[in-house]
Amino acid sequence: MNKDKVYIIIPVYNETLLLRDIVTQLLVQSYSNIVIIDDGSTLNIREIVTTLPVIYIRHAVNLGQGAALQTGFEYVKKLNFDAVVTFDGDGQHSVDDIASLLYYIDDGSADISLGSRFLGNNKNQVPFVRSVILQIARHINLIFSGLLLSDAHNGLRALNKKAVDLIHFSENRMAHASEILFQIKKNHLRFKEVPMDIKYDPTSPKKGQSSIDSVKILFDLVLHKLFE
Amino acid sequence: MNGIQIVLLTGTLLLAIYFIIRIKKRVIDIIFMSIVIVCATVFILWPDATNVIAHRLGVGRGTDLIFYLSVLLFWFVVLKLYIRIRRLEQVFTDIVRKDAIEKADHFSSKDNINNPLDSGEKL
Repeated sequence: MNKDKVYIIIPVYNETLLLRDIVTQLLVQSYSNIVIIDDGSTLNIREIVTTLPVIYIRHAVNLGQGAALQTGFEYVKKLNFDAVVTFDGDGQHSVDDIASLLYYIDDGSADISLGSRFLGNNKNQVPFVRSVILQIARHINLIFSGLLLSDAHNGLRALNKKAVDLIHFSENRMAHASEILFQIKKNHLRFKEVPMDIKYDPTSPKKGQSSIDSVKILFDLVLHKLFE
Repeated sequence: MNGIQIVLLTGTLLLAIYFIIRIKKRVIDIIFMSIVIVCATVFILWPDATNVIAHRLGVGRGTDLIFYLSVLLFWFVVLKLYIRIRRLEQVFTDIVRKDAIEKADHFSSKDNINNPLDSGEKL
C-alpha cells in the first residue's frame, strides 16, 4: 500500500510524554500523513508538535476520544486517501503493528482491521484485572452488537475509504469502541482482527483507561441503545 | 381549607401563571399542562376523590396513587431532559468539530519529512 495515501489519526488528550516519539517513529517508517487531534488538552500540545510535519487539529473544548476520532475522519474525508489508521497517543501501541493492520485493507479482504491484544503470543502482558474486565466487556459487546471479538476496547484500527465514509461515531466518549461494532454490523462491513502488541508500563499506570471507566462506558452504551 | 391545601394551591397557581406567561405553541403541551393543573386543583380541594380512584386501581390510598404517578412522571421528565442533553451535546460537538477542522494547522512542508526534527514552518 502506498503510504502517502495512508492517514494516521492520533487523538490526544494531555498525553505529552511520548507524542513526539510516536510521531518520529511514524515518520521513520514513512507514514508522512499524521493527523493529531488535540481534544481540548489543558497542556500545550501545539508546542510539542509544531516542529513536526503533522496536521494539527484542536477541539476548543474536551469532547472525548470518540469525538476526536470522528473529527479526524471528517478531516480526512476531504482528502485523497486509501486508508486511515487510528493510533493512541499515549504510547501503548507499537508503530510496527500498523503494517499488519494495513495488510488486510490493502489486499481487499477487509474494510476495517481491528487490533487485538489477545491474539498472537503476547497474551500474558495484559494485567489480570484488565484482562477480566475486557473479557466481560467483549461479551457485553456481543449482547449489544452480535459480534464477539477477542478484544473489546482497542484503539488501534485501520479503515478503508468505505469504512470511513460509513462509520460515524455519535458516542463522544469511550463507548465509541463498542459503537464501531454496531456500525460494522449495520453497514455490513468486513472486518479482521489482527494481533498487536500493547505496552503496559508499570511506572505509568495511568495509561489507557481506568477500571472504573468500564462502568461509565457500559452506562453510555445502554443509553446509546435506548436513544439511537 | 387547611394549611397544606393553601400551600399546594399556591404552588399550582404559580405553576399555572408561569406556564401562561411563557405559553407554548404546541397544542399537546397546552392540553397536557391544563389537565395537570385541573387535576391537581381538584385533588387538592377534594383529596378523598383520589381514594376512590385508587381503590378502583387496586391501590390502598389516594396519596399512594399520587406518589406512584409522581415517580412515573419524574422518570418521564428525566428521560426527556436526557434526550435534550444528548441533542445539545451533538450540536455542540458538530460546532466544535467544524471550528477545529477550519482552523486545522498544517505544520512543516513536505520537504522536511525526511528530517522530522527540523523546525518546520506553518504553511
